[in-house]
Amino acid sequence: MSLPFIDVPGNRPWPPRVSAFTQPFWEALAAGRFITTRGRTSGRLSFPPKPFCPYDWGREVEWVDLSGRGKLYTQTVIHAAPAAFAHEAPIRNGIVDLEEGLRVAARILGEPALDAAMQCVVLRYADGPLFAFRPAGS
Amino acid sequence: MTRRVAVIGGAASPNGKLQTAADAPLQALEHEILAPLVLDAMAAAGLPREEVDALVLAMCRPYTLQKYFATFLANTLRLPLEGTIMEVLGNGMTGGLAFDQAVNAVALGHADVALALGVNMESQASSADHAMSSMRATGDVDFHTVFGFTPIAWYAMDAVRYMHEHGATRAELASVAVKDRRHASLNPIAQFRKPLTLDEVLAARPIVEPLGLYEVPPRGDGAVCLVVCAEDMARATGRPYALVRSRGFFHEGAHQINEVPNDMTAFISARRAAEAAYQAAGIGPADLDLAEIYAPCTIVQVLVTEAMGLTQRGRGAAQAAAGETALGGRIPVCTSGGCLSRGHPAYITGLLTIYELWEQLTHRAGERQVRDARLAAGSCELGNYNAALIHILEAVA
Repeated sequence: MSLPFIDVPGNRPWPPRVSAFTQPFWEALAAGRFITTRGRTSGRLSFPPKPFCPYDWGREVEWVDLSGRGKLYTQTVIHAAPAAFAHEAPIRNGIVDLEEGLRVAARILGEPALDAAMQCVVLRYADGPLFAFRPAGS
Repeated sequence: MTRRVAVIGGAASPNGKLQTAADAPLQALEHEILAPLVLDAMAAAGLPREEVDALVLAMCRPYTLQKYFATFLANTLRLPLEGTIMEVLGNGMTGGLAFDQAVNAVALGHADVALALGVNMESQASSADHAMSSMRATGDVDFHTVFGFTPIAWYAMDAVRYMHEHGATRAELASVAVKDRRHASLNPIAQFRKPLTLDEVLAARPIVEPLGLYEVPPRGDGAVCLVVCAEDMARATGRPYALVRSRGFFHEGAHQINEVPNDMTAFISARRAAEAAYQAAGIGPADLDLAEIYAPCTIVQVLVTEAMGLTQRGRGAAQAAAGETALGGRIPVCTSGGCLSRGHPAYITGLLTIYELWEQLTHRAGERQVRDARLAAGSCELGNYNAALIHILEAVA
């Protein structure tokens, strides 16, 4: 099932670099999937995705789908933004704890209260995707 | 070999706007600011220049044109060195690591006298432009920076979670800024000395919600030099000094946030570093007479006092508001005025911390003197206190 898409005019203010390793992540996001890596020997998820497992340093990892569901741990509204983000300010960013036990920092949509149920969405900029979270069911 | 090490001298510039505009006809040059402070600090130490055998520089900001500034400065001072010379960089911990390395050079016997010093120039860069660099420092460039997180945004998120979990109020957090400004009003090197009211702090324009202008660090420049030496040499001068009793360090192995959900506002690194420092010194937090804490925002000071055991978990903001961490209170914190009002030229803030402790422990702090100050702690950090370095110093007269 695809994540919801939200179109955003213009390019990403600070586009992520894409490597041969992270390319599957960004391509999956553009296709509506939020994925990361899991160490084969440890069985543990990591985020951002890594070409090895940080827990046991095992070199074999596999890509797995994340539910995109979590709870809002904290947030802020950034008024004094870096120059590249001035046109987006004020920016609401926050930290979401995913159901799978991962903590992720991202853009936050809406004005959710802490501990609110959140859902991952794809921000579709002209030059590529970013992930964000909004209150579940909104 | 390891030897006991003392802080025997120091000198600092006023904090504030020292840097000149790129097109100004007359330029403020870093070595012309810092070198005279070396002379002042050595005069305060009462030691001959020939004894200096190590120079540890807190790396300059990228805005400083002269590169390899440490050896350039040694040339300016005609200072041959048998121990070491280096420039250290450790994010926000840079100044603290410069002190740490100078102490090590003496403790290991590489030098009898070492200088720990730095000059931080950045005020001519606008906040929005400076943030284009700092956003790449406090976050993953590809997975955090893409959203526009700034260094203080992480602290603001600490504040939001802390208030949510512990019921702390905006006014309690803001009281830290009022208290620090009152301390700074008594400090001749402070960037801001005009008293501030709680209403002014609460009404300030938002920077990173819920924190407003007076609860986040000012931009500014500064310079400082500390002289450390072997304790027997300090004793021979007959001058009062601050003995380095212990140090504690911890890095939690995370960059801004732990990917495994944890209690982000517990500041685990500050707690672990403090425990190590207390244990090595054979003391507890109740034995301290004052603490100088690296706290760029009001919330950070509250969380570090809790992590260091100076206030109770979840009660730090209320205890600050009640005056427990003010001059004259149970445990004065940031008697210099701290990052918020003394100033936060970030790469030398860790050195300014030790400078304040040296002034307090040698009883030269004037109107802000903590009476009979004997034991003091200084902290510095990087990230969202993902690492902490804490020194405990003792007055010897």
